[in-house]
Amino acid sequence: MLGRLGLFVLTLWAAVTVNFVLPRLMPGTPADAAVAKLAQNGPVSEATRAAIEAQLGVPDGNLLAQYGSYLRQVATLDFGVSYTFYPQTVSSMVSQALPYTLLLVGLVTVLAFVLGTLVGVLSAWKRGTWLDALPTLSGSFLSTFPYFWTALLLLFFLGFVLHWFPTTGAYSATTTPGFTLAFLGDALAHAALPAITILLTSLGGWILGMRNAMINTLGDDYVTFAEANGLRGRTVALRYAARNAILPNLTGFGLSLGGVVGGSVLVEQVFGYPGIGYLLFNAVIGQDYPLMQALFLMITVSVLVANFLVDVLYGLLDPRTRR
Amino acid sequence: MGTGLSGCSVQVRSRPDPTIGQDTMLINADKGNPLFNRVFNPFLVNTRTAAKWIYEPLILVNPLDGEQIPWLAQSWELPDARTIVLTVREAQWSDGEPFTADDVVFTLELLKQVPALDGKGVWQHLASVEADGDRVVCRLQTDDVPALPIIGVTYVVPRHRWAEVADPGTYRDENPVGTGPFVLGNYNPQQYSMDRNPRYWQADSVEIEHLVLPATDNQLDTVTRGYDWSYSFISDVQGTWGAASPHNRWWFPPGGIVALLPNHTVAPFDDVAVRRGLSLALDRGRIADVASEGYMQPAGQTGLVLPNQQDWLDPAIPDAGMVAQDTAAALESFAAAGYTQRDGRLVGPDGRQFAFALTSANGYTDWTRAAQEVAGQLGALGIEVSLQLPQPAGYQSAVANGQFQVALGGMGGGDVFRAFNDLMSSEFLTDVGTSTQANYERFSDPEVDALLAEFRSSTDPARQLAAARSLQRKVYEELPAIGLYYGGLWGLYNDEKFIGWPTAEDPYMAPQNYDSAPLGIFTRLKLAGGAA
Repeated sequence: MLGRLGLFVLTLWAAVTVNFVLPRLMPGTPADAAVAKLAQNGPVSEATRAAIEAQLGVPDGNLLAQYGSYLRQVATLDFGVSYTFYPQTVSSMVSQALPYTLLLVGLVTVLAFVLGTLVGVLSAWKRGTWLDALPTLSGSFLSTFPYFWTALLLLFFLGFVLHWFPTTGAYSATTTPGFTLAFLGDALAHAALPAITILLTSLGGWILGMRNAMINTLGDDYVTFAEANGLRGRTVALRYAARNAILPNLTGFGLSLGGVVGGSVLVEQVFGYPGIGYLLFNAVIGQDYPLMQALFLMITVSVLVANFLVDVLYGLLDPRTRR
Repeated sequence: MGTGLSGCSVQVRSRPDPTIGQDTMLINADKGNPLFNRVFNPFLVNTRTAAKWIYEPLILVNPLDGEQIPWLAQSWELPDARTIVLTVREAQWSDGEPFTADDVVFTLELLKQVPALDGKGVWQHLASVEADGDRVVCRLQTDDVPALPIIGVTYVVPRHRWAEVADPGTYRDENPVGTGPFVLGNYNPQQYSMDRNPRYWQADSVEIEHLVLPATDNQLDTVTRGYDWSYSFISDVQGTWGAASPHNRWWFPPGGIVALLPNHTVAPFDDVAVRRGLSLALDRGRIADVASEGYMQPAGQTGLVLPNQQDWLDPAIPDAGMVAQDTAAALESFAAAGYTQRDGRLVGPDGRQFAFALTSANGYTDWTRAAQEVAGQLGALGIEVSLQLPQPAGYQSAVANGQFQVALGGMGGGDVFRAFNDLMSSEFLTDVGTSTQANYERFSDPEVDALLAEFRSSTDPARQLAAARSLQRKVYEELPAIGLYYGGLWGLYNDEKFIGWPTAEDPYMAPQNYDSAPLGIFTRLKLAGGAA
């Protein structure tokens, strides 16, 4: 247990440090990014640049000093002021965006996993029939589409041509956010297109993964033995085969759960959805070190935690991993 | 996207929100990322667009031609080249307090105390400022006539509210009180509205009752949502914006010049014969067509944006500075620098091919297309041009630090003095590796500096014009930068509800919906259905 904790801390430190170094390897400074943005509307004077640098207060001190203050920030979870959203603090920007991403990407990821796994079990069990062919074919077809392409297609046809769904934002501009039925319905309608996009493009992977693992397991001796003993088909499929076959899918699920916090950058961008993914995109474009650091740290930590949880679950499902 | 749309049978039409009234303008001006932050401090980088319609400048400058329009200052005079006296007009803050010369002095002093707010560099020109009745007396550090528009565009904030602000550098100003035509209405993170300010000093000229600013702007949204005013480069404007509504109009006047910036600290670009060879080798009409989809015209070699700055043009410069492609002359000029064609390649005195890297910014698609076209045209002459496309921040850093051979960049537009000063003044010279904010190509010529000083210290329009003409000849002959084509201002508007938009025939203001230019447009627009 101690060794595991040590490894966790070491991994965390490495991630935190890479997190510090990577943005600084990008050419240009945060002020350059802000100036470049302004320069698209005309020449930017020296004074403007000086004012921007004074406003942002960057970059200060040598790398070692920056690293020191960065570690202090991480320890106290105070990431200071965002450059791109100055004078907004990083924590206020993150807390504004996080609920949208958790609800949208989180729920859809769980839904896609549950649905895909069930369909995968079914199609493996009924292999050779249309119940196998249909999900397998459509699954492999859909999962070959890139995220953003599917997003654009849905946006265009369901949004702009058919007007079934709102095309941008997380809720209507005229609705006041709050726990009212009207707002929740509105928010749901706005989440529909990005949700469908993520569901469509990720479902195939779960179906195929589960199906293939199932087929392997179904060939194993203990399944044949169970069948020979005359156990009911459903019992064999779920209690014997699926329980073992789900293990690789579960690992994938853990990883994608960790990725939920990172949002779906492209999908959120296409639909103007105010989640973490869009925030991350803005942070990178704006060389926003404080915001980038906070976001990458959140993503790293959530992936680490999700992995840890999967480890625990594995232990419950697979006695062989227990010691 | 646009060309795809027009070629396909699906026609996207605008679907305006039926709840938006006839006296309300839906305006696509403010980009949330993707939500709005409630920041109306007009001096901050990330302020809301509309902060600059709540607060007003002393002088409204038309970005098209640099024309100075009296605004909160109803008049001004320059008794000598280092004094500016502004007379403020009678106006009120939106909370009913009177606007006075004291507010102006307070604002300017604020910029001195908090340099982070002084984005225009007012205090690089000002020495002191004081109020004298309804007049504001600005004393300058040197003879500095062009300081007038720089000081004049300062947004004036109310002393009675801002004096209590503890830290103006991070002040968000969530409930702004200004002198402008609108006050903040409903605000939420996805959309805010503005209401007509009944106390506005020219309230009689404003017929728009409300403005609505949603946080989103993707291009499909621009076309379909039924905006009254939008601003965006848009592919196939006829087939997209134009087809979405019979009332959709557009006007794309030139706003600046996209140019090749040769680095004068790098051989052989320090040789004017090489720069002239490059200039003569290019077919600017084709570059303009390819880069801007035919919307923009090729630019001449005077440093002026035409027709905006026609009045400044030196008639002695042939063909208004337009340089036609002339391959023979180009080769002749290259030969003078020691470069000759051999086996279809242009080789230097050392026998190696003339090759250089052209730096542009990743994601600036029109610049990239221009760079590719330039590379192709020079390639036909035997010059090998490789493209370097760093991210915008990396591009900005490389160009400002002089770490490039030839870069794509902007020049010209707006104030004529500042355009020439930014392009050629040796006051901006820094060592390569040290950042500068103008004269990126690091050009230096004592005669040019003398002309700029003459321009700067003269209050006599005739002498200013003479200096400007000599500076144009310098640009034409020395080629500090090589003009390619005009960068556009992409005004998109709808004349169903509001009429009186600026056009090529009546270019009273740049058609941009950011900064304070819209003040000049809001006060000119009329309701299409007659007076309210």
